[in-house]
Amino acid sequence: MTFHWSVIWEHADRFVAGAMLTIELTVLTMLLSLPAGLILAFLRLSRWRLIRIAATAFVELFRSTPLILQIYWVYYVLPVFADIRLPGLATALIGLVCNISSYNSETFRAGIVSIRRGQWNAGLALGMTRGQAMWRIVLPQAAMRVLPALATTWVSLFKDTSLVSVIHVEDLSYVSLKIRTETFVILEVLTAMAAMYWFMGYPQAKLVDWVHRRFKVAE
Amino acid sequence: MSGAGRVGAAGAPILTFEGVVKRYGQLEALRGVSCQVNRGEVVCLIGPSGSGKSTLLRCANALETLEGGRITFDGADVHAAGADARRVRQRMGMVFQNFELFPHLTVLRNVTIGPRTVLGLDRAAADERARALLAKVGLSDKAGQHPAALSGGQQQRVAIARALAMEPALMLFDEPTSALDPETIGEVLSVMKALADEGMTMVVVTHEMDFAKRVADWVVVFDQGRVIEQGPPKQIFEAATVQRTREFLSHLGWHGESIAEVAASE
Repeated sequence: MTFHWSVIWEHADRFVAGAMLTIELTVLTMLLSLPAGLILAFLRLSRWRLIRIAATAFVELFRSTPLILQIYWVYYVLPVFADIRLPGLATALIGLVCNISSYNSETFRAGIVSIRRGQWNAGLALGMTRGQAMWRIVLPQAAMRVLPALATTWVSLFKDTSLVSVIHVEDLSYVSLKIRTETFVILEVLTAMAAMYWFMGYPQAKLVDWVHRRFKVAE
Repeated sequence: MSGAGRVGAAGAPILTFEGVVKRYGQLEALRGVSCQVNRGEVVCLIGPSGSGKSTLLRCANALETLEGGRITFDGADVHAAGADARRVRQRMGMVFQNFELFPHLTVLRNVTIGPRTVLGLDRAAADERARALLAKVGLSDKAGQHPAALSGGQQQRVAIARALAMEPALMLFDEPTSALDPETIGEVLSVMKALADEGMTMVVVTHEMDFAKRVADWVVVFDQGRVIEQGPPKQIFEAATVQRTREFLSHLGWHGESIAEVAASE
């Protein structure tokens, strides 16, 4: 049996471009999903019941269906329903952001409600508005507390971006699978793909482990 | 009526409770509490745990809503529709049993955050005020530390400085020494005593009977959501007229003159 590792080098630029897009998708998704998740968390903690219900419905919809379905849905169904046709990358981003912001909202919500009542009272007793107490006192503490959970979501997200390949977004997965089909060099291409994901993912996983140790809840 | 018989430097009423009722579901935490705090006075609220003392404090600065009665601060109804709770809280400092310092901020920032966010003081002015207050509570050297690095007594002194930074007209203390190690209680009480000596109006929920007896101008005794007795400390500690007051004091090991027999007979 002979190996054709040269195929990898011949297509190196495409692999690199795919990897860059994977990183770009991960970073963009998280950048958008952090504020979106925070807003969803606030809506779920709203004093108005209707707003709470709407936000909860959104979150539970996206947490309880497969991401691949969500991506397909945005790609195929949204254009029909809403007559919106977006570029593939934007479509992928919408699917990922809806999904990840749902998870982030639950994380933020858990963090916010974990801050004890006395901290709110201490802020309010100084004459702060509820908003000031939230931004200056509760949220900074909640954010520190949920950093490990957010980091875990980040690493899952990095791997889950591979699902956007099903709608022809040319990330590392799409590019790898395409090269495989073009060249019929299966073992080498899939191994290279695995190696690239691993070399990018492993440092992130280690960083997350460090974050978990560093930001352990301490009173 | 509640102010009757007060002596000394008592000024005009600043905080008045009239028939205050507070319920949590079925539980009636306050069942028509009336008492009064005059300017410059130290009023101590004593009584068994769960008798409603702390609840009354949280009602005073509108951290809790009322089911009945009226609380008047500086002539204005605190709980009236349209009342500005924030304005009231700015003028009433509050010190909590569990300190409730902000753990993500340094000691200095804990003290400046109120003036900065609520009063809109600039950084330099807030810092100057905070440093003066930290010196006053004896913690100038801790300004750059985080609360977790401080002892309980030190944390509570910072909490007092934090409340004072708003330059309140009145201070509420909610069992300020109950969460402290015995050896650090004294440092907090002496800061409070100094504050009282400066003429600060204070409402203190406490189990420190020595402090109540030495510092208070007026003592209010709570039991099961009611005021069962109130008067100057000399009367409460030496000649309590209500049996339940004597029982409570003797239970705490208070050996006042009039209850010496009760205590001895146990």
